[in-house]
Amino acid sequence: MKKIRLIFALGMCLFFINSCSENGLELTNPTQLSPETFFKNEAQVQASVNAVYANLQTIALYTRHIFFMMDNMAHENSGNPQLEADKREYLEFSFDSSHGAIGNYWDTCYRGINKANFVIGNEEAINAIPASFLSQARKDKFIGEAKFLRALYYFYLVTRYGDIPLITAIPEDGNGFPRSPKEEVYQQIISDLQDASATLLSKGEEEAGRANSGAAYALLGKVHLYRGEYDLALTAFQNIYGEYSLGNSVQDYRDNFLEETEHGPESIFEVEYNDDLGDSAKWNSDVSGAGPQEVTFRGQEYGMFDWFNVYPSDDILDEYEDGDPRFAANFYSVGDEYAGGVITEISNGRRAGWKKYQNYYKDTNEDQASGINMKVIRYADVLLMMAECANEVVSQAAAVGYINEVRARVSMPLVSTGLSKSQVFDAIVHERKVELAGEQVRFPDLVRWGLAAEVLGQYGFQAGKNEIFPIPDREISSNENVSQANQNPGY
Amino acid sequence: MRNSYFKRILLVATLFCFGFISAQQSVSGTVSDSNGPLPGANVLVKGTSNGTTTNFDGEYTLNNVPSGAVLIYGYLGFQEQEVAVNNRSTINITLIEDETSLDEVLVIGYGTQTRAEVTGAISTVNSEEITSVPVATADQALQGRAAGVTVVNSGSPGTSPVVRIRGLGTPNNNNPLYVIDGIISGGIGDLNPNDIESIQVLKDASTTAVYGSQGSNGVVVVTTKKGNRSGKPVLTFDTYTGVQFSNERYDVLNTQQYIQYASQIGDTPARISDPQYASFLDNNVNYQDAIFRTGIIQNYNVAMAGGSENSNYRFSAGYLDQEGALIETEFERFSFRANSNFTFGKLKLGETMAVAFNVQNPERASGGRSLLEHAIKAAPYLPIYNPNNLGGFQGPSSALDGQDAENPVRVQTLGSAVNKSVSIIGGLFGEYEIIDGLNFKTQVGLDYSNYNNEVFIPSYNDDSNGGTHTIGYAQITKNTGTFQSLTYTNSLNYKKTFADSHNVEVLLLAEKQQIKNSNINASSQNPISDEVDQLSLTGAGLSSGSSEYNRLGYLGRINYNFEQKYLIGGSLRRDASSRFGPNNRWGWFYSVAGGWNIGKESFMADTPFNNLKLRGSWGIVGNDNIGDYRYSATLITDFIYPFGGTAADGTTANGLPNPNLKWEETTMRNIGLDVGLFNDQFTMSLEYYFNESDDLLINRPLSTSLGFNDPNITENVGSVETKGFEVNLGYNDFEGEFTWSASLNLGSSKNEVQSLGEVSVIEGGGFENENLSRITVGEPLYYFYGLQTDGIYQNQAEVDAVFTANPGQTIVQPGDIRFKDINNDGDITSEDRTKIGNPYPDVTYGFNASANYKNFDFNIFISGVAGNDVYNTNIYDLEGMPRLFNSGTAVLDRWTGPGTSNDVPRALGAGQNVSASDRFIEDGSYTRLRNITLGYTLPNSIFDDYISKFRIYFSGQNLITITDYSGLDPEVGSSTVINNNSYEFGIDRGNYPQPKSFLFGVQVTF
Repeated sequence: MKKIRLIFALGMCLFFINSCSENGLELTNPTQLSPETFFKNEAQVQASVNAVYANLQTIALYTRHIFFMMDNMAHENSGNPQLEADKREYLEFSFDSSHGAIGNYWDTCYRGINKANFVIGNEEAINAIPASFLSQARKDKFIGEAKFLRALYYFYLVTRYGDIPLITAIPEDGNGFPRSPKEEVYQQIISDLQDASATLLSKGEEEAGRANSGAAYALLGKVHLYRGEYDLALTAFQNIYGEYSLGNSVQDYRDNFLEETEHGPESIFEVEYNDDLGDSAKWNSDVSGAGPQEVTFRGQEYGMFDWFNVYPSDDILDEYEDGDPRFAANFYSVGDEYAGGVITEISNGRRAGWKKYQNYYKDTNEDQASGINMKVIRYADVLLMMAECANEVVSQAAAVGYINEVRARVSMPLVSTGLSKSQVFDAIVHERKVELAGEQVRFPDLVRWGLAAEVLGQYGFQAGKNEIFPIPDREISSNENVSQANQNPGY
Repeated sequence: MRNSYFKRILLVATLFCFGFISAQQSVSGTVSDSNGPLPGANVLVKGTSNGTTTNFDGEYTLNNVPSGAVLIYGYLGFQEQEVAVNNRSTINITLIEDETSLDEVLVIGYGTQTRAEVTGAISTVNSEEITSVPVATADQALQGRAAGVTVVNSGSPGTSPVVRIRGLGTPNNNNPLYVIDGIISGGIGDLNPNDIESIQVLKDASTTAVYGSQGSNGVVVVTTKKGNRSGKPVLTFDTYTGVQFSNERYDVLNTQQYIQYASQIGDTPARISDPQYASFLDNNVNYQDAIFRTGIIQNYNVAMAGGSENSNYRFSAGYLDQEGALIETEFERFSFRANSNFTFGKLKLGETMAVAFNVQNPERASGGRSLLEHAIKAAPYLPIYNPNNLGGFQGPSSALDGQDAENPVRVQTLGSAVNKSVSIIGGLFGEYEIIDGLNFKTQVGLDYSNYNNEVFIPSYNDDSNGGTHTIGYAQITKNTGTFQSLTYTNSLNYKKTFADSHNVEVLLLAEKQQIKNSNINASSQNPISDEVDQLSLTGAGLSSGSSEYNRLGYLGRINYNFEQKYLIGGSLRRDASSRFGPNNRWGWFYSVAGGWNIGKESFMADTPFNNLKLRGSWGIVGNDNIGDYRYSATLITDFIYPFGGTAADGTTANGLPNPNLKWEETTMRNIGLDVGLFNDQFTMSLEYYFNESDDLLINRPLSTSLGFNDPNITENVGSVETKGFEVNLGYNDFEGEFTWSASLNLGSSKNEVQSLGEVSVIEGGGFENENLSRITVGEPLYYFYGLQTDGIYQNQAEVDAVFTANPGQTIVQPGDIRFKDINNDGDITSEDRTKIGNPYPDVTYGFNASANYKNFDFNIFISGVAGNDVYNTNIYDLEGMPRLFNSGTAVLDRWTGPGTSNDVPRALGAGQNVSASDRFIEDGSYTRLRNITLGYTLPNSIFDDYISKFRIYFSGQNLITITDYSGLDPEVGSSTVINNNSYEFGIDRGNYPQPKSFLFGVQVTF
């Protein structure tokens, strides 16, 4: 009997020693942060928001490709022989669904969206932070930044790919999302921007580089305009009308594209670059936004004293009226000053080279690292968009008033107030082309105006196809809910 | 039973000759085994009941022995010996362990079994085999010893080999589980081979399923030496010393040939006319000779062992110093071990404890290239040393010529690189017999190691006018870390025989393992001094990490046999691991097995078969080598964006966690046949296995629109099939003055990937911007992939005939390599790549033969592999000619015009010439004389009583290698310069070749 008790006791002991440590099976990685323990203070919330911006700096977007895509497709650029094939394809509209950068553009925007969803999806955890650590107003403005950026990335996607997967929460499993109608995407963008405009800080209150309420209204108006909702667009723009200023000189215009005068009175939203902050990841970050990548290749790629891959097209140069000082503000031509001397010839016999966004005003070469911020929306763009809305739903006179605000800054002759609606429209088309040359707005303008085929058909643009990009191969192969069968028309 | 007849005739003859002498006498002496006196041995006068047993000192005295009698000496586990008395009054005898007997005790997982009871596939390697080849680590000694175990050694001193049991079963971690004296440990690299009693390799489900989620790659069970039964302490001392070297070289250009070749390809060394450099042309340096040397090996071991009825002990110490065949490579180890056991009535206590201090000077990498690669490519006119340069070495300069190979002597000898480590492995156990046959055992085991790797490279400039390789500051790197594993095991074991024929053994066991890892990596620069090798904040890099891993398992096992004829057994284990996702934290692992000892059936009694056994097993075993925390969600803080002119950190979710993540699982089937003929004079063992591995971890690309930073999710979706057979053949002749034995083992393994989930290809093995190895469904793991060559284009017409769809191309010209247009699209592109080789051998084998004549002993050991391919990247350097480097002499016979060569293309040809292709694939089969030993044991008579054995021997290792492989060594061990992973298998990047060695050794037992 004694023995049996002993056996029983030792048998129990066999399992007891181990079972009390069963919770040792639930371990968290001590080397890396985990979502369960995150969103406990302002620094963490802010870091989660900062990450969303980083995808703007990827090679696919403002560090290397978006300017080629937009400026080449709009034929504001012509290509020099050294222009690489993938960028030449934008000029010729010969890209297909295997195009690397078109795939990367998609990829990086969605990575930005996923990061935004990581913030917005944790709103409950953020709101649970005690107010003494983080005020409700600041919690709301962080969520607002994430919503603004989610809207911006979706806007980049919906305008370039049409119907797209619409993902607004943190994905819980590996299943891909099917394409949603672009109308649903637009409704999400509008809703996000409305929320953001209500909670974001004003430009004066917010740190330079962060999305502010003015940026949200400006983008909201732009989205409505793209959809032909002129009243709604105008309402949105009215919130910021008069809050920004153009100045009154060509130098004020030029200041938009210089490093020292970033975030000036006209600035609404910029992509930040800073040559002092490290660029060790500049060749690597196609889509992820990881690592120090605080410079853009825009200067190196376009620069006439550097790689000079593209030059301003005859079409854009010819658009400038005689005496328009913006020509000399945007382009270098023979006789212009450079590096303490005068330009005597431009290689390849070109008429001009880009001056906008170049560092040649202070450096002799670009050194593969430009710190000049790229402008996403500035006030002159907003005024010209307001002109477009007014021309449709208010009056031609009101429209001309906005145009003339832009022309007056550079002392160009004012547009007559007695023009017809179509004459005002033509004036807007002209003014946007010269004012916003090389700022990635003309191609989407031509598409939404229905002018793309007429203007770009000679270069290979096919109506009904090239308004949007193909869905990238990588998405089709990795997303079981998107197949070649629902590829965009013509691809 | 012809053997028996022979013995009977011998016996009758003996009796006939001496039977008439009927005088009675007494005989005394000592019975011992190879370790010393053997207490409790039986001594019997043949044909009578007159017998005795030896005392604690192994001594016996037997009275009333007819002077012509024959004495039979016996002891369990030893071969019986019959000795004619022949009027002698003193007979000392040494018994030989009966290794092939069915009574041989094998250490299996959590217990022991006799050979007769085994139903699984187990290979045994004994201590003599382990120490016969002078290796630093015991895993190296497994090579060629166990059927189905493939060991690929590296020549680098102190570097552990790649060990694979029954081939490959997963694209992930294929490393076996190591268990030392019942303690699960990270490896056996720190064990002194001299302390090892035996190694058992467990290969099938019936033996590995008891290890549950850790067993599917096979298990290596190591048992260390314990004290012997004798009361008298036995002191053994053994030592060997010798030299090792590598005398294989690639044929490279000398200075005259190099200058000529350089000028022919338009890259004449420009500044060679500069008086400062003109004298360089007088140099003719063979950089291979500069990096190889003859190294000295020394090894000393002392062990003291002894015991009494209630206790035994063994203490040992060892020192090994192995200088590598490459300059400044060395491995030194101090090792200590203490094993002891005590019995207090029904309670047994015991411990094992070993400490090792290792110091390694490794081969140093620079630019991810081996010393050998630098040595092949370095220009022969450059002197090794130049006192005018900072650092004292000479290297290339762009002003001299276009080649930029680093000076390998500078890479290896400037400054220092030292890896130091301390390891402790040991355990403590208590065992109590509750009732007859029922034991409770508790054990705690520790495996601890700490490493300290330090590199110091002073500033250097390999050419005073601006060397290609110049660093203006001293570089200091110090990495340190610890590994700690604690295992607690409690078990109840019941073993009983009922009615003399029903043998039952039941085991219930619970086990817990806790593993902790941590590391700190620090580096800095010193721009002002090369004298201080300490860290500072200048140019500093700093990181640290830690991880934990816990396991919990419950095991039940039952084995039953009827008179050892009919065997059946099964095990069931429930395992949990912190590595598995919360949805799959616990798993079941199990096996069933059976066997039939046909040889024990009465109808086999009059046949030559003393053993004939059929056995089989089936079961499910896991692999939890999947990495820590892999299922869990993590955040990443690497997204930097500037606000207000200041860079700010950004944090987001890294990827999609997979809470279902779990172990990889292998279904193992094994069938085996054991045969023993003529009292085990001939033995044979055959195995066939068929393993199916499922739930293999595969990274599946997520939909890009999900937008995760980590674009893949890891899922248990892959499967691989592995099958093969194993053969062991043995012959023993232990009779007479000349005795000999021979054994052959051979194992095959073939694997085929069955599924990768939705993934079509996984690539690895990067070389010159290409991947050399890949995994696809329907092919073996890690096969080589590239273009297929088809001679050389001799003229433009031949080029045009291939490039029909791309006729305008001008890159590929006559003199370039013609590749096969596999996809028939009229162009040669990367789409034409195909399977060009398989790095894993079809067959691995070993052959061992030993002979003894009087006091001489002789052993040869041959090991080899067949059917594998090696990707020899050295050919890229020797014959690739992508640009100027020193090259092989083959480039002198390169294509220079139609008909000049169909093997070596033109210099500076099309980039395709050096694309991954079968140009670099060679047959890696080899047969190697791994060891040859001649020993002599001095007669006892010349020493006094203090020395019972004194043996001297000479041996040589790797003296002959038969292979078609053109590189220095067909056995391509793990690379010391590139991060090793399974994709590296069979890729020769100038890897450290295995040296040859000559040794002289002495073994003394006091």
